[in-house]
Amino acid sequence: MGDKNVLVIGGGTAGLSAAVELANLGVHVELIEKSKFLGGHAIGYTCKAIENTCVKCGACMVEEKLQSAVFHPNINVLAASQVQNISQNNRFSANIRQESLVIDPEKCTNCGLCLNRCPMEGAILQGFSKNNHPFYAVNIKKCLYFKDRSCTICRDECPETAIDLDKKASEHTIEADAVLIAIGFQPFNPKDKPYGYGRFNNVVTGLDLERMLKQSGRVKKPSDNKLPQKIAFIQCVGSRDAKLNHLWCSKVCCGSALRMARLIKERQPKTEIAFFYMDVQTFGKDFEPFYREAQKDIRMIRAIPGDIYEMDDRRLKINFVNNSTHETKEEIVDLVVLSVGITPVEDIGTMSRIFKIGPDESGFLRTDHNGVFTAGTVQGPMSIPETIANSGSVAWKIKKYIDGLTIDD
Amino acid sequence: MISSSEIIDMDQLDHTRCRNWPFLQDFCVTCGMCASSCPASGIDGFDPRMLVRMVSLGLAEEVIDARWPWICTMCGKCENVCPMQIDIADLIRKIRSKREREKVPGILHKGLVAALETGNNLRLPKDDFIFIIEDVAEEVAEEPGFEGFKAPIDKKGANILTTIHNKLVNTHTEDLKHWWKIFHAAKEDWTVTSENWEGTSWGYFTGDDDAMKIMAGRIVEQMEKLEVKTLLWPE
Ligand SMILES: Cc1cc2nc3c(=O)[nH]c(=O)nc-3n(C[C@H](O)[C@H](O)[C@H](O)COP(=O)(O)OP(=O)(O)OC[C@H]3O[C@@H](n4cnc5c(N)ncnc54)[C@H](O)[C@@H]3O)c2cc1C
Repeated sequence: MGDKNVLVIGGGTAGLSAAVELANLGVHVELIEKSKFLGGHAIGYTCKAIENTCVKCGACMVEEKLQSAVFHPNINVLAASQVQNISQNNRFSANIRQESLVIDPEKCTNCGLCLNRCPMEGAILQGFSKNNHPFYAVNIKKCLYFKDRSCTICRDECPETAIDLDKKASEHTIEADAVLIAIGFQPFNPKDKPYGYGRFNNVVTGLDLERMLKQSGRVKKPSDNKLPQKIAFIQCVGSRDAKLNHLWCSKVCCGSALRMARLIKERQPKTEIAFFYMDVQTFGKDFEPFYREAQKDIRMIRAIPGDIYEMDDRRLKINFVNNSTHETKEEIVDLVVLSVGITPVEDIGTMSRIFKIGPDESGFLRTDHNGVFTAGTVQGPMSIPETIANSGSVAWKIKKYIDGLTIDD
Repeated sequence: MISSSEIIDMDQLDHTRCRNWPFLQDFCVTCGMCASSCPASGIDGFDPRMLVRMVSLGLAEEVIDARWPWICTMCGKCENVCPMQIDIADLIRKIRSKREREKVPGILHKGLVAALETGNNLRLPKDDFIFIIEDVAEEVAEEPGFEGFKAPIDKKGANILTTIHNKLVNTHTEDLKHWWKIFHAAKEDWTVTSENWEGTSWGYFTGDDDAMKIMAGRIVEQMEKLEVKTLLWPE
């Protein structure tokens, strides 16, 4: 039983949770993650406790799974890696290509000197968690050495000689008895909505805001780094949208946006917050008291705005219908947060090709046939707790499947 | 019209009543983007979101009798932003089409009747029309750079036939000149017709497809008669 091997593709909440579950059952897991850091989207979320009371956002659960995974003896992680192709002959045999990691995890002590000394903004990336090790990574798209060999400062100054700028990409072959696809979701890109995302500095997404809150604990205007006085949240951006063929509700955005709004109110009480919505999705049994509190501090407006214009001073003019007079109203705010939805991730195409399975009509991927499984948001919108529960149950299915193989053999 | 504060008798509601109106109104998620974008929202309480909901709830007579559908300018911005692809402008046109013709708001109704009878919304006789066109052309010719300018009427074989909005031969004659000056500068070979020159089609705004067909057919007839291949319909 101990010699069974499962390949988990994707190291977000789903991949990590399933890996830990399987590893605890004595199964060996090869976890491959495309990006340089484990944790997926949710490792960038901050704890949103109000007055030290947990609001069950789930951020810490991801941290916990990450920590268990990286220290688990049954889990082997390959970051910056992707499946090239796979063959199945009883077992799966996968060819994996790992990009050069440049920074040697064995030697790196996460001192941060590379980031401090690097002359090129964005060339050294930072993780989101103390359990991202190494906490730094070289972004070869920005690094000057990879551009024209003109800079070797990080390598020269690293006190541990952990940086090898000439390190090559590597190929690995992984044999596995089952495969779990846990490649997550793609946040909707709102650039084509009439809200100026990508053009107006002070229009951000919910994910941008999560990261801002995690990194600095405050919300600031990207245009000048000052605190905003007035913030507007716009819900359902890219969800429940027939034109985009996104008929689903993304389920997590109402909770996420309201929790962030309340956190901002607690930390920056002078901020005025308006919340534009169609209807508020309930989340969990504590929704009722949470929502009651939220409504005290946050102006809830039951309409989705039409247009946003940027003014000379970078503030934003929002047009929306006033529900009592039915007139279009203009309001000026400092920051707009677009609650972007969960959409199918691009690599579902690659996975469909490699594993010869098709996505559903919405574009998400769900399977548990022939040793190939999916878990988490690759299947459709889920919150962190839902993702963890789903991944746990899929892990059990995988365990049954590979035990079945043993019997058949 | 039912206002939002009035209590609606639930027995009145029949979700299936407007089902054969093919505008996906039942898909409305009441997000309000239509009303938030509409330039006419709020005029007499007009609210496209409410209107779509009323149709979805089967309140057919109420919307047909209401003033709201006639406030809409048919600009189509609502439809452009609607995430559920509801053809709101078409829906409004459908509502307008269901009103008894005699009850179509005055100017639209009278104008359309006039157009069908006389070829233009103003009942402007042919001679008066020609007089106005020539008079304005003379004014243009008095301006430096436009010496000898003439407005070609009924010119056979011209390159472009242009229709005329009735207000340009009524209260806005100055606006004729802009087009003409451009034609002159571009050395365009153009013409207007002495009959059936009307470019506005109030059949469109009143939801009257038959009237629209007649008006469009007349323009085509003129083009065939004068052997003009290109139509400029500046509406
Ligand atoms: C704006 C926003 C706010 C949210 N807020 C909350 C919240 O407050 N509370 C909550 O419970 N949930 C929240 N969620 C939902 C939460 O983000 C998800 O439940 C969670 O991230 C799902 O985890 P996952 O592993 O399925 O996907 P992901 O987090 O997307 O992880 C997928 C991982 O797979 C990797 N990957 C992708 N393609 C490949 C490939 N080809 N090969 C290898 N690896 C690959 C990715 O790099 C990534 O690390 C929010 C979502 C959004 C959009």
